[in-house]
Amino acid sequence: MKRIIFLIYTVLITISVSAQNIDGRAVENFFKAPGTPVNPKVEVSWNRYYTNDGLLDIYNRMVRAYPDLVKLESIGKSYENRNIWLLTVTNQKNKPHREKPGFWIDGAIHSNEIQGSEISVYTAWYLTENYGKNDFITQLMDEKVFYIMPVSSPDGREFYMNRPGTVNSSRSGAIPLDDDGDGLAAEDGFNDLNGDGHITMMRRRNPYGQWKTDPSDQRRLVRAEADEFGEWEMLGFEGMDADNDGRASEDRADGYYDPNRDWGWNWQPDYVQRGAYRYPFSLPESMAVRDFVMNHPNIAGAQSYHNTGGMLLRGPGSNDDSKFYLREDVRVYDHLGELGEKLIPGYNYYIIHEDLYTVYGGLIDWFHLMRGIFTFSNELFTSYFYFNQQSDGWFGRQEEAMEFDRFLLFEDAFVPWQEYDHPQYGKIEIGGFKKNFGRINPGFLLENEAHRNMAFTLHHAYHTPHLEITELTSKDLGGGLREITAQVTNSRLIPTHAGIDNRYKITRPNYITLEGGNVVAGMIIKNRDLNVVEEQLINPATIEVDNIPGMNSVLVKWVVDGGRRFTVTVDSAKGGRISKEL
Amino acid sequence: MNKTKRIIAIFFVLWMAGVSAINANEFTDAKASQDKLKSLAGQYPDFAKYEVLTSTPAGNNLGVLTLGRGNAAEKPAIALVGGIEGPHLFGTKLAIEFAEKVLGQTGNKQISALLDSVCFYVIPSINPDAAQSYFTSLRYERRGNGSPTDLDRDGRIAEDGYDDLNRDGLISMMRIADPTGKWMPHPADERIMVEARPAQGETGSYLYLTEGIDNDKDESFNEDGDEGVIINRNFAFKHPFFTTGSGEHAMSEVETRAIADFLYDAKNVFAVVSFGPANNLSKPLSYNEREASARIHTGWKKDDITLNEQISHLYNKHLGKMAPAEQSGSDGDFFQWAYFHYGRFSFSTPGWTFPDTAKTDKDAPKSQELNFLKWAEANKIENAFIPWTAIDHPDFPNKKVEVGGLAPFAMINPPANMHDTIIDIHTNFLLDLARMRPRIEIRDVKTEHIGRGLYRVTAEIANPGDFPTASQTGEMVRWMQKTVVRLTPARGQEIISGNVVEVFGAMGPRSSVKRSWIIKGDGTIMLRAGGEPTGFDQKDISL
Repeated sequence: MKRIIFLIYTVLITISVSAQNIDGRAVENFFKAPGTPVNPKVEVSWNRYYTNDGLLDIYNRMVRAYPDLVKLESIGKSYENRNIWLLTVTNQKNKPHREKPGFWIDGAIHSNEIQGSEISVYTAWYLTENYGKNDFITQLMDEKVFYIMPVSSPDGREFYMNRPGTVNSSRSGAIPLDDDGDGLAAEDGFNDLNGDGHITMMRRRNPYGQWKTDPSDQRRLVRAEADEFGEWEMLGFEGMDADNDGRASEDRADGYYDPNRDWGWNWQPDYVQRGAYRYPFSLPESMAVRDFVMNHPNIAGAQSYHNTGGMLLRGPGSNDDSKFYLREDVRVYDHLGELGEKLIPGYNYYIIHEDLYTVYGGLIDWFHLMRGIFTFSNELFTSYFYFNQQSDGWFGRQEEAMEFDRFLLFEDAFVPWQEYDHPQYGKIEIGGFKKNFGRINPGFLLENEAHRNMAFTLHHAYHTPHLEITELTSKDLGGGLREITAQVTNSRLIPTHAGIDNRYKITRPNYITLEGGNVVAGMIIKNRDLNVVEEQLINPATIEVDNIPGMNSVLVKWVVDGGRRFTVTVDSAKGGRISKEL
Repeated sequence: MNKTKRIIAIFFVLWMAGVSAINANEFTDAKASQDKLKSLAGQYPDFAKYEVLTSTPAGNNLGVLTLGRGNAAEKPAIALVGGIEGPHLFGTKLAIEFAEKVLGQTGNKQISALLDSVCFYVIPSINPDAAQSYFTSLRYERRGNGSPTDLDRDGRIAEDGYDDLNRDGLISMMRIADPTGKWMPHPADERIMVEARPAQGETGSYLYLTEGIDNDKDESFNEDGDEGVIINRNFAFKHPFFTTGSGEHAMSEVETRAIADFLYDAKNVFAVVSFGPANNLSKPLSYNEREASARIHTGWKKDDITLNEQISHLYNKHLGKMAPAEQSGSDGDFFQWAYFHYGRFSFSTPGWTFPDTAKTDKDAPKSQELNFLKWAEANKIENAFIPWTAIDHPDFPNKKVEVGGLAPFAMINPPANMHDTIIDIHTNFLLDLARMRPRIEIRDVKTEHIGRGLYRVTAEIANPGDFPTASQTGEMVRWMQKTVVRLTPARGQEIISGNVVEVFGAMGPRSSVKRSWIIKGDGTIMLRAGGEPTGFDQKDISL
């Protein structure tokens, strides 16, 4: 019965595949742009950002439209008791998702870096809308499973979107902490004095100030020359000294901690690694991911979305750990990283500790070094996109940002300076770039970057192991004995066991099992031509193979007494489960 | 173990009870230990409170008894942690009986007054699952908790544990006569096995393994038994990743996390004293500048070493010749975590180790086991040794295989007749330690009218204790509460100069600083100083 359903399903897919080929004509009111679904079942505008509820609505619509392709579940609760949503995206009909190589995607672990979530959801949306229509996507969905957690920190997203903040708040989440060490938590945060939801800058006229108005853009302040007074003094971010300790806004509503310093490899305390919480996985959000990843050893590749700067980052986060990024593993990263640089103009393939800064206890080191999962962390958005040219630093030059805002956003990203009567500073002005500018994409650039990053990630996912039994032969040895030989090939770049995985035996071995007949002996063939074998004395029917390398194969053989029909099953944690009959 | 084997094992345990060096009656199992704490809390409700922190994978409770009168959370506290390693049952007993002895003396004014100003958090065991194997029919020195763990990382769980081959209810050692073996009987005592030193002209003649069968035929013996993670290897400082029993990552276990969470929440802890293998009490740690000043420092800071020396001096005054052997900690252990990550002064002692009295030929191989056996026999400790007896071993057909060796638990737990003395001594030491606690006092408050409703207020903020208000590492740890001085004026009063609130770095032992303020307006201002690790002091000053 199952087989019949599967057959019908395959036929339906074939029909839909042929249907999509007629795309030289309009579909209803739409005409297809190449590479984008012409008339998606789930309509989403990819030029704005969604609240937690807004995203949940998209998830639910995807589940309703594609119940066989998307599953929605909560993998845990945040500090403020919000659900941490995870989408399992795959063709659920052909085999259990745990028997397919898995690919993990997370967004916005730093919750102010919000577009990582939209890019993650775009990926889920694109995979579902194109299933059965595009051959590459269909094959990917048949062979792999995507575990997508668009919002790593739902509390932080809520904070970012609904509470006054800067471009950096909240990076953490919503746990109030005693940042200034005075025994009280969160007693002196920002104050949204002008009530616009953005925490911008405060300036005050001062004939002896150090800042003056830029004659080419009245909104901008530049430093006075060394031998002159300016006309302004800068008073920092919008706020006041609420606790009278002589410092303004130093103990904010969102305590300073960093969820990306909370992971189990080379974790270091706050005095070494600022932002570390109590100990590895001491935050509920990272603990939820830990549990999910530990329970899904099929995850072979992963992508974490951050901002900003246009980078494809790989580990290690610390130079001490360079020795654990083994040559064979780096080869895989280099191939994918270089592809990424090509697919996303303006991006650079970097090593965290070398090209960025040192990070102890980061997510991607735990994924790679303790789970053997090939993982990239992409820093979304770069000032390169202002005028498609290389700028300075992560955020580019301020003049450029001003120009971009003026000519392309029509000054939508800037709060114009306005007078305000401050209880502590007197007559001041409040203004500056809004919190949604500088790190996150302006609307018209969002879909572009989402698509390019997704494409990079899908190629990474494509290269998780793909196992095939490429040879299965039988030879009569006489006396009722028979020799069965199987070749198992991994036709992708990523091995079933990364080098680090082999070194520390992180993932169980691949099991290649022969059923049928009485297995008398089993062995791995090291060199077929010279007949070098390694016999496995215990339980010879199931040969344990440490690794099936990328773009390579392994050979095993058994000596069997009796039996007529034989089945060989390859059961690989990260390479999936396949079988073939002889 | 099959049923017959189990019955025989139980029989042997019953038979041995009362005569052995490892008498089950002298220690309490996980449940009885927790029940004891609970009943102490019931018996002394003004001084003690019991709380369960978590339930372990094997279903044992891991609890804490808080000793202290009034608001314990605002009094300087010592966290007293026993049962650091499962087989060290005496560490658990020390912690429980300390609590019992202190509570028993609360009728004494000196003790009840002490409990008004300090607090003890008593956690008798961090790994009750491991300790439990002392009380089961098959007894062995188990270190791992009850979480199912693939100790040899081969994809199978618990496929090769110990086997009680001589059916005595104990897991000891086995020696196999084999010319390829690297072990030999000790020349001074044939019962003790030592590794042969080819350079000294010695040759091995035995294989020497833990008691059991190679159940999974992988040529390793007993490498993946039915036990889990060693809590004392699971802490995050220098976590020995991917080694036997260290866990899938640092702080992976419910026990580890529950203890860390409890301690981080207990902001008032200024020192941690643990009863485990590490020992910086008999002999203080030594200062190593390179280690102490590295970006990730792995050595104690200088002033903290000085305090360690002072506390060690006190300990040796109490313990004298009974002081146990030194040991500076191991990777992933609780002792080092408490200093380097938790930031508190961390002291540890096993409470007892057998004295090193054996005199052997200086050319003879060194053997702690031999030393122990000599001491045990001189002190008439019964059943310290399980005589070697020949057995048939399926993995070594046609070879002479014997099971025996030192009795498990005997070497690390003192004999019962010494318990009371050791417990008394440690109780007194701990009470002395508490008397040295850091404190904050506001002293010498002076007010001066400087005209037209203006007052100058001067006060000294002092730490009269023998401890600094924080260790040098603690000063850097964000979870260590610093001393805060806060001046709250009455309505209508205004602070013209001086800090409304000031956060201090660590204040050294027996030190003080002066502060002054100018206040405008009459009324009563409130000056409050302190932090949880020192307690608070408050002065209401009328102007």
